[in-house]
Amino acid sequence: MENRLKFELNKDLVPARDLPEYRLRRGGHLNAGFKEVAIAVSGVSRHFGAKAALDDVSVFVPRGSVLGLVGENGAGKTTLIKHLLGSLKAQSGTVRVFDRDPVLDPVGVLGRVGYLSERRDLPGWMRVGEFMRYTQAFYPAWDEQYAGQLLEQFQLDPAQKIKTLSKGEQAKIGLLTALAYRPDLLFLDEPSSGLDPVVRRDILEAIIRVVAEEGRTVLFSSHLLDEVERVANQVVMLQRGRVVLNGSTEEVRRGHISAVLAFAEPPSKAPVVAGAYAVAGYGSEWRVLFGGSHLELETAAALIGARVVEERTPTLDEILVARAGRKGS
Amino acid sequence: MEVGRLAWRTPTGAMLWEIWGRHKWIFPCHGLALAASACLVCWKEHGAPENAVGFVYLISSGCFFGSFIPLLACLGYIEVDAGRVQLGFPGRLLLKPVSTTRLVLVPMLFGGTIIVAVFALWTQLVVRPLIAIPASNLLRLGTVLLSFFWWMQALAWSLPSLKGRVVIDLLMAATHFLLGALPMLPMNALSSWQWPILIALLLAVVPTAWVGLKLVRQGRWEGPSSIARFWSHRRSPLAWSPRRRFHSAFGAQFWLEWRRQGWRLPGISGGLALLVVPIALIATTKLGALNPPPLGVILSILVLMPLLFSGVIGHALGKFDPLDTTRELPVYIAVRPMTDSGFVMAKLVMALVASVLTWLLTLAGACLCLAIMGAETLFSKAASVTPYGPVALAIGCVPLFLLLVILTWKNMVAGIGAVLTGRQWIVTVFLCKSAVFYTGLLLLGEFAIIDQDLRKALLYWLPGLLIVLLAAKIVFSICAFAWGLRRNAITACAVGWTVGGWFVCGLFVAGYGGLVCHAMNKPELWIWVALAGFLVLPLAELAIAPLALAWNRHR
Repeated sequence: MENRLKFELNKDLVPARDLPEYRLRRGGHLNAGFKEVAIAVSGVSRHFGAKAALDDVSVFVPRGSVLGLVGENGAGKTTLIKHLLGSLKAQSGTVRVFDRDPVLDPVGVLGRVGYLSERRDLPGWMRVGEFMRYTQAFYPAWDEQYAGQLLEQFQLDPAQKIKTLSKGEQAKIGLLTALAYRPDLLFLDEPSSGLDPVVRRDILEAIIRVVAEEGRTVLFSSHLLDEVERVANQVVMLQRGRVVLNGSTEEVRRGHISAVLAFAEPPSKAPVVAGAYAVAGYGSEWRVLFGGSHLELETAAALIGARVVEERTPTLDEILVARAGRKGS
Repeated sequence: MEVGRLAWRTPTGAMLWEIWGRHKWIFPCHGLALAASACLVCWKEHGAPENAVGFVYLISSGCFFGSFIPLLACLGYIEVDAGRVQLGFPGRLLLKPVSTTRLVLVPMLFGGTIIVAVFALWTQLVVRPLIAIPASNLLRLGTVLLSFFWWMQALAWSLPSLKGRVVIDLLMAATHFLLGALPMLPMNALSSWQWPILIALLLAVVPTAWVGLKLVRQGRWEGPSSIARFWSHRRSPLAWSPRRRFHSAFGAQFWLEWRRQGWRLPGISGGLALLVVPIALIATTKLGALNPPPLGVILSILVLMPLLFSGVIGHALGKFDPLDTTRELPVYIAVRPMTDSGFVMAKLVMALVASVLTWLLTLAGACLCLAIMGAETLFSKAASVTPYGPVALAIGCVPLFLLLVILTWKNMVAGIGAVLTGRQWIVTVFLCKSAVFYTGLLLLGEFAIIDQDLRKALLYWLPGLLIVLLAAKIVFSICAFAWGLRRNAITACAVGWTVGGWFVCGLFVAGYGGLVCHAMNKPELWIWVALAGFLVLPLAELAIAPLALAWNRHR
């Protein structure tokens, strides 16, 4: 029997801070209450010179999840994906993909993984058809019919050289070759970065189809948080190499409140609200993005002599901007 | 030199500063090479032993070519665009508010001036004291060099994405080679044409570069070419069925390696062989001056070319994309499910196929030359070499052919481990090590010729030294293989093929060496040749290559 990593879960995604509470076990069989883990990153740190690209990062992704990896530029999203691909070696901590170390067993891991690179690092000298044939040779599970469908859907000319393709077309051929062998796990690093809305829609639809029809595990990083909200059921937010948010998309959104606080007397400077990630406004009304429950917000407002006059669930975009703006959070 | 200084705050200043800023180490290194050569020439003129003259020639010419080629490259103002797979004018400058005339003239005039000045220094300090060469010849050589430099610039800037530009480049290079070497070639009737041709080339180069760059700035080369557009219009873009599939991942990787690098050595050596054939043809006509034609010289050139080029081309063998300047493994290759040894084996097999093809082409060129220039003379001499006639001679050449293939392959893969690491500093250290090692070896050889005691000492210690080096090589290789197996960087099958190949090739070299030693009536030399053969053939390099790739792939 294969030596798979099992992980006891009572949530789909395990917060990093709760890691010691879970028992990491190897071997055995799938039981009720156990869900197979596709990705297990535990305490991974990576420094480039003095800069910490990843700092004690722990992320566990069960099979069938769609994980959105979000964060500012330089937060460590691509570095984390490179660790999962084995392109980077963890300086401390462990990385397992389908219970295999991607550095020690690249063939075992990469055979089950599809990857669309942020850099669109494709061989410009090859033709589209040649690149497909080249990629096909590495994957026995390559589905020619599916590849043909995607080729038609993306309107790509197999005789065209890759260097003459537009940025959007290069993203499409990258996605095609990442999907055509139906990998168990798909890494998409900024799949729609720099693309126009039409190409973005095409790519997003292809991803959604993979998720909806095949139930595969997908990890994708993006700056476009409306995409993440639309596709992902889990979200991990990185900030300066640390995981600052980790949970289901709904949990993350509901864990924050966007509220308007009204003051009887306009404060002379921006009020300091305990638990707020961002405070903006003027005069007697200030909008805050608060991390906590409604009761905690009421308490925090009362402490500074304000009352909550309006509140709603913020978007992921608002949460990212607010948390990124608060240095060192 | 600061960019902020007033003199550099002009477009011309910025363009010149860029040359300096990116290649500032080349200039002092070139100065050192020139100074070293000039010192050697002084030593030769003031009391060097008679038998040290060869050594002075060797080192000086090495310094000249070794330092002049990088200088030409750095002054060329040609940049690699790896994404678009082309060489051309630095793209960022095309959008600056600077006239095309200035963009063309600044690098051409600056580069041309430096090239001519440096060439003049070399000729005065090194070449003229060594070789009695007329001033007119030096002037012609300098003009040829200038014209060659300008035409390489003009072609690279004007035709960045033209398919098959390499053919135009090679033709232009061959033209300049012929113009430079005309007095040394058996083509007296053509000599009177060299100056008119040279002047025409010089007059045409600046307008060509200007028009070409103007068209590039207007985006005439953007998008698919008109030929590509024609073909794509002739068929439905989606009517495509996959051609024959690759049988294995190894086959696909071999195809990639062949397409990127494999054709280079056979292409260049074969092309030059084809260049020699017309010269041979002309030499035998009334345009030629030599009778009988210099068969020995032509055959030596044909044989030496692949051996020389294999080292130069092999330097890029460790790269997956020769145009890539980062040296990192391209992502589209790094994420493929293939072992590190699989990638390395694809490169080694590609190098072997390239070597075989190169020598087949060279053999074909040599046979053509022989057919044109009087094969019967050579074949009639064959009887004196072997009593069994020309057929026996031809059969006897088969092991020589195999030996040349092995040597060429060895040259190609010699630096594969260093380049596969993807670290520039390791490549630099490797190149320095090679330069020091081979220069040391040459120096030792030259001093051994001069000094009899040193020669005796060397001959005494050489067998022991060879044995120790071979033992060290085997131990190092075993450690590297063990480490590679432990890290899954290499498979047991790959270890078997590598060790088996090394052993068989070593036995072949030893056997062939034995035959040659026996034929020379020096059987006592056989053991040295055998040891040297096993030592020279790569084993440790191949053992560490998968580990080097793993280090690059998993940073």
